Amino acid sequence: MEILLQLVYSGIALGMIYAVIAFGYQLTFQTSDTLNFGQGDALMLGAMVGLTLVNMGVNYWVMLPLVIVFGMIQGGVVERIGVAPAIKIKSEFGWIMSTIALGIIFKNVAENIWGRDDLKFPSPLPESPMKFLGANVLPMEVLVVVGAVVMMLAVEFFNRKTIYGKAVVATFNDRDAAKLMGINTGLVITFSYALSSATAAFAGALIAPLTLTGATMGAVLGLKAFAVAIIGGLTSGLGIIVGGIILGVAETTTGFYLSTGYKDVPGLVLLLLVLAFKPSGLFGKTAIKKV
Amino acid sequence: MNSKSLISGIVGFALLAAAPLYTSNPYYIHMIGTIMIYAILLFGLDIVVGYTGQVSLGHAGLFGVGSYTAGVLFFKLGAPLWVIIPASIGVTAGFGALLALPALRVTGPYLAMVTLAFGTIIQILINEMDFLTEGPLGIKVPKPSLGGVQLNEHAFYWMVLALLVVSLVVVDRILKSQLGRAFEALRGSPVASDCMGVSVYRYKVYAFVISAGFAGLAGCLYAYSEQYISPNTYNFELTVLFLLAVIMGGRKSRVGSLLGAAIIVILPKLLDDLEMFRIVASTLAVLIAVGGAIAVSKKMTTPKAMALPVLGTIALAGFSFWLQSITDWRLSIFGLMILFVVYYLQDGIVGFVRNLFARKGPRAGHAVVRTAGEHKDAIMNAAAGAGQDLLIAKGVLMQFGGLKAINQVDITVKRGTIHGLIGPNGSGKSTMMNVLTGIYVPTAGSIEFSGRSVVGRTSSDIALSGIARTFQNVQLFGEMTALQNVQVGLHHTFGSNIVDVALHTPRYNREEAASVERGLGLIEFVGLADLANEEARNLPYGKQRLLEIARALALDPQLLLLDEPAAGLTAPDIKELITIIRKIRDHGITVILIEHHMDVVMGVCDNVSVLDFGQKIAEGKPAEVQANEKVIEAYLGGTAA
Repeated sequence: MEILLQLVYSGIALGMIYAVIAFGYQLTFQTSDTLNFGQGDALMLGAMVGLTLVNMGVNYWVMLPLVIVFGMIQGGVVERIGVAPAIKIKSEFGWIMSTIALGIIFKNVAENIWGRDDLKFPSPLPESPMKFLGANVLPMEVLVVVGAVVMMLAVEFFNRKTIYGKAVVATFNDRDAAKLMGINTGLVITFSYALSSATAAFAGALIAPLTLTGATMGAVLGLKAFAVAIIGGLTSGLGIIVGGIILGVAETTTGFYLSTGYKDVPGLVLLLLVLAFKPSGLFGKTAIKKV
Repeated sequence: MNSKSLISGIVGFALLAAAPLYTSNPYYIHMIGTIMIYAILLFGLDIVVGYTGQVSLGHAGLFGVGSYTAGVLFFKLGAPLWVIIPASIGVTAGFGALLALPALRVTGPYLAMVTLAFGTIIQILINEMDFLTEGPLGIKVPKPSLGGVQLNEHAFYWMVLALLVVSLVVVDRILKSQLGRAFEALRGSPVASDCMGVSVYRYKVYAFVISAGFAGLAGCLYAYSEQYISPNTYNFELTVLFLLAVIMGGRKSRVGSLLGAAIIVILPKLLDDLEMFRIVASTLAVLIAVGGAIAVSKKMTTPKAMALPVLGTIALAGFSFWLQSITDWRLSIFGLMILFVVYYLQDGIVGFVRNLFARKGPRAGHAVVRTAGEHKDAIMNAAAGAGQDLLIAKGVLMQFGGLKAINQVDITVKRGTIHGLIGPNGSGKSTMMNVLTGIYVPTAGSIEFSGRSVVGRTSSDIALSGIARTFQNVQLFGEMTALQNVQVGLHHTFGSNIVDVALHTPRYNREEAASVERGLGLIEFVGLADLANEEARNLPYGKQRLLEIARALALDPQLLLLDEPAAGLTAPDIKELITIIRKIRDHGITVILIEHHMDVVMGVCDNVSVLDFGQKIAEGKPAEVQANEKVIEAYLGGTAA
């Protein structure tokens, strides 16, 4: 029982990371109906840059905002190079392929800068576990959960309460109408990519001390977070948290009871199942197609 | 295939077949063999990417399934070649179906992610199921034996070449048949495909399964060619490489697939050699700069648009001289190539060359020789029984959220009549069409068409049972010719299956010839005989509307729904249209006509129903309706109360 509870705790921490990345997918999907297939690589770059900063002697807590800024720049670049031209020529194939291509390039560059081996990220908090309801919890896991929730709340607050956020929401509702109302929709989309990559980079810096850091850490995380985004529905905020936790717990338990080799399977199978039976997600609404 | 490309194809393959005779270097033989194996896979991938327009990131996984089927069958059972090849194709096609059945309900980015997940699962399974696959250790597979003799490097090469030629012919035949037209149609307009009785979902699954079969064949040959397989080969990079090959070579082109395969096999070898890469990068920079300068001077493009590729390639050349080792940067170079192809070479190398030498007029490959004399009447007569009720809609309610787009509407249409459906914009006319053709499922109410309920059936099923339609905003298959568009409507006349198509059996040949004959007849009926081989997107708007009518008639409908056929037509065209509609009725086909041109409605309709705000406000003979006060009020606004 204690083991199970412990698995649940680490599952929740992992799940919150998925939720944050999935949240990043939602951000760009909302403004432009596009996704960054290199989202996982944005996370990896965040972790890598964070690690470099920490190794240079920067304090972990000072590093976090720097990583967020880095993520924003990276996301902006992805949108300008990979997505904006595709939106202009209305090519779905275009943005899918170019964000994949950029993801590959980022991964390859990271391999060449930081090497192919996984690196250890020093933990900013004590590594001795705490007791909570009879099972062990790492302080870092608590930080991950808190950090993820704060990040999502901050972005939600921005979207709901500020005039810039209203522009984002307006762009989501009707891109052309928003444009006619004088909103620079191109800029809004770029900004949404910046925010999206920033959340991913932040998630990378949060999760890195719990896992190992390496150029390949992003790919599977990005894919599984997509599963979460789909389960939650690409428009539901609550959905991704629930979805993330379900997947996180499913993975830690599979990893423990079956084999760690199979730990990625539940998420991917879940993705296939949800898309097969309820493509709009468990929490999303189906859109009406117009003819 | 015209004779010119046939001859060059034969010469090309003869040269390939002779390759082992003039080089004894096994390195090159193996390399060309690998190119041919990849090409087989790319033929299949092109069906999915080029024709149906979907992104599959799962083909490396399918390739792996093919390889491992061969590997495991050999390793565990010592199965012979003639068992292994069909088994690899079959098993992989099965996996393709397993993936396609759930995955193809979604499109675009969703599908890309699902196929990516599938590919990842396959790799994990190959790695973990070591009782079957030997896990990361891999499996050794010697060259196969045929008739008791073990094939040597050269014999295997010829076998691959033979299979390549067979694949090429089969793929080419499939894509030129009704199947290929269906694949292309569902990319052009999914809604129209469904309404022509070509089920989008079913044909997407077909396309995927056929594609998977070729991936399986390629995978199997790859296992023999490499003589060793391990899970790491079938990774994400390979999948991306395959996609790069398809789009770089050129979509919808077999030559493009061969070219793409050559590029992705040779390029990594070139990249192993830094000196070579520097030369290639510099040449590329010069070529792009010169090409850009010419393009700008000929006003084909603006300096601004050319700036990025020119600067990019120059930067790449500079980068190549800065690099110490190139192997580590392979993936980045592939990534850059994808970006380049996606934005500057969208039609691939083949498409680029074709555009460069583009001649005016219809493409030779698609031209159909017209038979002399009049075509016999191409329109099927509808079933007899004039005067009976053909369509009975009762209490139809269509609700979107809180909005009632159609509110408790009853409509009865008698067989053999022309029934007008009019009303101000937004009154629910087109929604009614969509409900009748199964695009929307009504919230409540019943619709009966020749004795059978329509509610809840799929669009393609309804279409096949005899309801054809045109669209308010034209939904033609733009990249297909006018004739091919009509042939998609004639899809239901084909009974031949994929084997008939691959072998060109008499049945298929007969059906194809009949569909050309009838297609031309229908095109002639709407007065587009001269434009049969023109791509639909190049037709003027009014002609596109007429073509839609021809396509709808190809379905041999009992009931034809015309959604604003006169919109955008000139006055003489409208006269023509009225004649056409009357002729259609004379064949016993019932017509429901949505139209804003009142002269058309009043001129041809036997009965008219008027909708306003989703409710039926009047019904009757045209003259009665015209005099109805409610109708006048709806159109011109109410008098002050």
